[in-house]
Amino acid sequence: MRVVVTVAAALLLGHAARADEVDKSAQADPRGEVVISNVAGEVQVTGWDRNEVHVRADLSDDEQRLEFRTSGARTTIEVVLPRGHSYRGSTDLVVQVPRNSSLTMTTVSADQTIKDVRGMQRLQAVSGTIQTELWNEDIEVKNVSGEVYVRGHSGKGTLRATSVSGGLRLEDIGSEMELNTVTGDMTVRVAELSKARIRTTNGNLELRAAKVTDDLRVDAEGINGDLRFRFPRTLDAEFDISTFNGDIDNCFGPKPHRTSEYGPGNALRFKEGNGDGRVRIKALNGTVEICNR
Amino acid sequence: MNESTQSGRDPLDEALASLPEDVTPQRDLWPRIRAEIAKTPIVAPATASPVQSTWFRLAAAVLLVVVTSFVTYYLTRQSMPQPIARTTPESLPTPQVSPQPASFSFGSERLGAGYRNARAELDKRFHERLAALPTADRAKVEKNLADIRHAADEISATLAQHPSDPLLQDLLMSTYQSELQLLANVSELPTAGSMRTDL
Repeated sequence: MRVVVTVAAALLLGHAARADEVDKSAQADPRGEVVISNVAGEVQVTGWDRNEVHVRADLSDDEQRLEFRTSGARTTIEVVLPRGHSYRGSTDLVVQVPRNSSLTMTTVSADQTIKDVRGMQRLQAVSGTIQTELWNEDIEVKNVSGEVYVRGHSGKGTLRATSVSGGLRLEDIGSEMELNTVTGDMTVRVAELSKARIRTTNGNLELRAAKVTDDLRVDAEGINGDLRFRFPRTLDAEFDISTFNGDIDNCFGPKPHRTSEYGPGNALRFKEGNGDGRVRIKALNGTVEICNR
Repeated sequence: MNESTQSGRDPLDEALASLPEDVTPQRDLWPRIRAEIAKTPIVAPATASPVQSTWFRLAAAVLLVVVTSFVTYYLTRQSMPQPIARTTPESLPTPQVSPQPASFSFGSERLGAGYRNARAELDKRFHERLAALPTADRAKVEKNLADIRHAADEISATLAQHPSDPLLQDLLMSTYQSELQLLANVSELPTAGSMRTDL
């Protein structure tokens, strides 16, 4: 009798555990769009070589529901909350998508981790870390509170990243970027740099470029923070740098001059090589450093 | 302007109507403005209607235009060299010259009623969204907004001492744009309440 009760209890418990787990899949366009939204938890999205979207969700309670639907080339995965529900739990999603899918993801308090998804990506989070990879399609990332990590494959995709409170760590991304932080440091490593528009209110920037293109365009502004650039040893570019309260350190040779005899301010304009490229840097409070080693 | 608001006119219409007709920017501002517009938004919130979304894009665009135009206008006017004093012929009437303040500020009070009204609408939406954010995130957004505004105040005060400094002019304009961008971004954020719920 005791054995029967134990087995029954185990079956019931097993059923209860499985009730919060959802496992679904559907055929998908190899270059379709996948839209994911989740409030809290963790979302992992991985590209694979099947024309199929698969999702495994670990719902935190019975009141949540996973909506999984396809319409044409679009697959939507949504964690749906009951109306008026005071949300305190979290839902983890593990999703596989065709490798060349484009991805749109919106989360509130959830970490986003994306691997090997090679289509265009639009990622937005209120709070949480965003980690993704940049290939040949563009990526836009907006994060209010949390770090952003992007590892590139030196592809052609452009990265547009905005962070209100949190840093940007970008490695081997493409040659074109548009970066913006209010509070947060930026660390950027690129094999080749072509176009960069960078703005920070309170944060430091460190950008290293192994190579630059002939049509180099860099436009950087910082209010409070140091802006440091490492360029290749030789390049063709015209530099126009100015700071209001801060030094300008230049490894290329020419020295900055004071913009006013009696007030603060430093400026440096010079040309390297043919001067085909343009590097424009402006800072209010902070050091600007440009170096070629 | 206040009467119009009370009469129920669309604040955006008021903002558009109040734009000055005689502001001539010193340089072509459109490429920069267009770039700013293109950046907003990247993802539409789950429950925002197309009308709302379009309205806020328009509002943000108008605000950027207004800020850029006004700042450029005022800065240009301030940086223009004063004409060399000449003897006024007695036959000509004495011009009525409005005295310029010794110190100059670029606070939002200088940007006109249209800007303030449109900005107030964006602020309203911003605070609605802000209230729905988790406490810790709300604090971070508020702190960052305060940092941006502090930076704008700091640059503005410094500009009062160095009114023709082009670096400060550019940075101030850029900081105002950052502030508006932050307001617009937060206004379109998803929140737990805005995510899809069962009816």
